[in-house]
Formats: sequence, C-alpha cells, structure tokens
Amino acid sequence: MSDCLLEGKNVTKHYDEGRIQALRGVDLAVNASEFVAITGPSGSGKSTLLQLLGGLDQPTSGEILFRGHSLANSFDLDSYRSRRVGFVFQAFHLLPTLRALENVQIPMFETKLGLREREAKAAELLREVGLEHRLQQYPNQLSAGERQRTAIARSLANDPEILLADEPTGNLDSENSAKIMALLTGIQAKRNMVLVIVTHESAIAQLAQRTIHIRDGRISS
Amino acid sequence: MSFIRIALKNLLRRRLRTVLTLCGVGVGIAAFVALVGFSRSFEDQWAKLYESSGTDIAVVQKTFLNTFVDESVGEKLRSLPFVAAADPVIVNLMDLTPEVNALVYGWPANSFEMDTLTLLQGRRFHDDQPEVMLGEVLAENLGKKPGEEMDIQGAPFQVVGVFRGGSALEAGAAVLPLRELQKLSDLGGKVTAFHVHLRNGAEGESDQQRMQKARAEIEAAFPGLKALPASVRARNNQLVVLARSMAWGTSVIALFIGALGIANTMAMSVFERTKEIGVLRALGWRRSRVMKLILIEAAILGLVGGCFGVVGGWLTLRILAGLPFTASFVTGSIPPLICGEGLGISVVVGLLAGFLPAQRGARLSPVEALRYE
Repeated sequence: MSDCLLEGKNVTKHYDEGRIQALRGVDLAVNASEFVAITGPSGSGKSTLLQLLGGLDQPTSGEILFRGHSLANSFDLDSYRSRRVGFVFQAFHLLPTLRALENVQIPMFETKLGLREREAKAAELLREVGLEHRLQQYPNQLSAGERQRTAIARSLANDPEILLADEPTGNLDSENSAKIMALLTGIQAKRNMVLVIVTHESAIAQLAQRTIHIRDGRISS
Repeated sequence: MSFIRIALKNLLRRRLRTVLTLCGVGVGIAAFVALVGFSRSFEDQWAKLYESSGTDIAVVQKTFLNTFVDESVGEKLRSLPFVAAADPVIVNLMDLTPEVNALVYGWPANSFEMDTLTLLQGRRFHDDQPEVMLGEVLAENLGKKPGEEMDIQGAPFQVVGVFRGGSALEAGAAVLPLRELQKLSDLGGKVTAFHVHLRNGAEGESDQQRMQKARAEIEAAFPGLKALPASVRARNNQLVVLARSMAWGTSVIALFIGALGIANTMAMSVFERTKEIGVLRALGWRRSRVMKLILIEAAILGLVGGCFGVVGGWLTLRILAGLPFTASFVTGSIPPLICGEGLGISVVVGLLAGFLPAQRGARLSPVEALRYE
C-alpha cells in the first residue's frame, strides 16, 4: 500500500483568465510523516502550490489528492482545512482583538469541543510552543517570534495530519527563525505529521528530508 | 472563549462607530416605543373609558370620514326593547389655551355616562348652560377650579365641577353640555355617536348572544349606521386609528434609518476585515459560521440599540406626560408588551440589516481574502 498522503497530478493554476499561469502541470507526492521544502524564486508558484495542497483554492486543471481521494470531488474543503491541515503564514494572521489563548481556539469552533475543553487544549498547545506565560497577551503585546509561535499553536488546534507553512520565518530575525524552525521540526517529529514549508532560504530547505524546486510554475528538481 | 465574545470584541474594535450605530438604532426604537407605546396606551385608555362608562354598543356612521349621526336617531334607538339607555355624545379635540389641548365631550346632563364620574369638587353642569366640568389633570394644568371662568373657542364658560373618571383620558378631558358643544362645533342636530346601554338579556342568553342580536337589530333599523361593541369602538375610533397610523408610519421610517446605520456599519466592518475573514476560512470556518458571526454582531447592535431605545422611549413618554400640551393624552407608562416588541423588532432589524454584509463576508474566497490589502 502506498505511503503517499498528499498528491498533485498535472496541476495547473491560471489567474486573470489565463493571462497568469502560476502552475503548469505540476506532479508531486508527499508521503506520510515527510518534511518537504518547496523552494523557488518569487512568483515561481510555490505559494500557489501550497494553497492548492491546503484546499484554500482549486486547480484550474489536474487534481490534488488526499489519501488517494480528489479534493475536488470527494472532500468538503472546509472540513479538510479544519481537520486535516494546519496553516502557518508568513504574516502570522492572528486576530488582533483576541488574546493568544483565544486565537488558538479559533479552529476549534468547527469541532464539538466545549468551551472549557477548547480553553484547556489551547493552553496546552501554547505550553507546547513555550508560551505558557503569554496566554492572555494580545498579538500587539507579543514579539514577532511569539506571534509565530501562537500561530503554530493555532495550526495544531485540531491535530492535523499536515502542517503547511508559507515562509514561516519570513518576518523573523535569524535567531527567531532558528527557534521557529526548531519548533516546527520538533513538532513534525513528535507528532509524526507531514510538514510542507515554502521558503526561499536554502538554510531552511536543508532541514527538510526532501526539497522541491519550482521555477516558472514547473517543478525543476 | 465563546462565539458571542468574538462578536463583541469585533464590535468594540471601532467603539465610536459602534456607539454612533447604537444611537441610530436607539433613536429608531425610542421612536417606536414612544409613539406606538403612546398609541397603545391611548387605545387602552379608550377601552377603559368605554368599560367604565357602562356603554355596551356605540352607534356610529358606517363611513370613516363622515362621522356624524343625526340626533333624531336617539328616539328610535331608545324605543328598541333591548335598549336601556341611548345617549348622544360628541367627542372633539380642542385647544383650550395655546399650550393645552384636550379631549372635549358633549353629553346631556342626565347621560348614564355621567354616573360613572366621581365629582371631586363642585357639581354637575346643567343642560343648555355655558358650564364645563374638568377632569382633575386638566383642571390642574389649566389652574382652574369650580366657580372660575374660562374661554373655550372664544366663548366664556363657567367651571362648575372637577371630576375623576375611570380612564386617564377623562382625567385630562373636559365635559360640556351637549348643546353647548354643538354650538361651539357648529353641529346643530348632529352628534358623534350614540352610546347604548343594553338591558339584561333573557335567561340563558349569553352576553355575546345578547350583543350580537342587539347589533343586528340596530343595524337593520338604521341602514346607514353601524353598531359596534364598545371594545371595538374603543380600539377603532378615528382618533385611535389616526394615532396608530401616525405612530407606525413614523416608527417605520425611524427604524428604517436605524437599519441603514447597522447595514452601513456591518458592510464597513466586513470590508475592513476581509483579510481576517480569509484567515477564518483558511482555518476551516465554514461559510455558515462566518455568516453567523456577522449576523450575531448585527443582532447585538440591534439588541443593545433596542435597550437604549426602550429606555429613551420610556423617558420620552415620561417627559410628554409632564407637559401641559400633551399630558391629557399621555399616561407616561409603557405597556410591557411594547418593550418586548421594541427589543424583538430591534433584533430583527439588526439581522435584516446585517444579512447582505454577512452574505458578502461568507462568500469571500479564502485565497482572495488573504491576498486582500
């Protein structure tokens, strides 16, 4: 039986009525528990690929498969994003009106967890990322590194099988970048989950088990 | 953290805008509570007035605008076997001074309705004399007591008594001899209605059967007139109908303006939070949950604005009840049902106003929303 968890088959993505071709027939497979880095220059299509893998968007043609099932046909994409995938963004995207503890609970509203269970789990996740002393802080009271840790805790809220990170260290200094990468790789190993990171930093890509390089919408290596 | 808490925090993000929106909704609901509350209270007072007067049936014109009945009808009415009494009455609204408006009734001195008034000072008037009896609130507002004179529509009248009635409307009203009011109103031989007191029914006959039979026979005897049960007349006389129509018309306009305020606030809020909505969608929130969040925010605006509005409406009525110009018609109390209706309407207005912005927010594609700058 194949160990392939996530697969892209001849994936293309066009924008602006075909004038922009972000992806041109990409094939890739990501196995369970694998750490994959997607690299490439700006505008090469790497973030678009990550969005398609995460069910944020649908390919123009081709298909994305999760455990062999096409995301286009067999899946409720909201449920897929909520239960199977965790997202970490370069700009953190924490809700400014909510405390760290509250931000982490956001994805849990799509589960059957009660209020106290949500709070307990969010506190546990923030402990896991080393922010047990910052539960009640608002995003603007956190450092950039702490914000990204909060976002990572949020991405783990519903125990996803796949963690997708789009330039997770793009807004951080080198010291914080190293800490965040240590945290992400530690979580990936501990939880035995798929980690796909989009980056253009070779130092980060080297941490991955496998690197996929994209250029002009095509996988070049 | 509860779902409501997220909604509240979103609303508190732009406090000034939220407060201004609440003011808009509050004014709309205050207008509703004050105006519709006044009209209901007015209606209730009419009902009390009819109940306390012993009137069973009011005989009036069938048409709405031509409201006068020929006085000669009275004799034939009284000849009907089931009629114990049928007294003519004129009801008018007059400005007794530039500041004081009041309901003015014209009755014969021996009207059965006179027996329901409690004289606090002085005596009853005599027919065909320029004499007037004042309700206790009106007497106080005018500063008049028995023995003093007052002008009504340019004619001198002597105040002969101060009375307490069964309704707040009577407390703020004046009662004149029928003929005097006919002269003042240029209504020779005409009255507004006949108030009929029925004899007891035959044994085994219910009040309802007695009423139905009497109405049918009166209407058969007078084809141009209708015989209304007192309770129906109380709620559908011209003054009540006009008050109700004005109240609802003005309230609907005020509520519409309040709804526009909520719609504008929610549309701006969704516009400003496009990226955040994209994040919520990316994190797995369904369209329905995004929609629910925005609708809850709109409903909270409606409900909190509604609470301000209920208090504002109540205060408005209290103030109106203390002013001489309006004290005769306004009791200053709000039927509790109106408060509930006001809050219910405010929430519904909020939900309706929030629907389109909520739909727009829910339709956002996560990727496009995340790209939004």
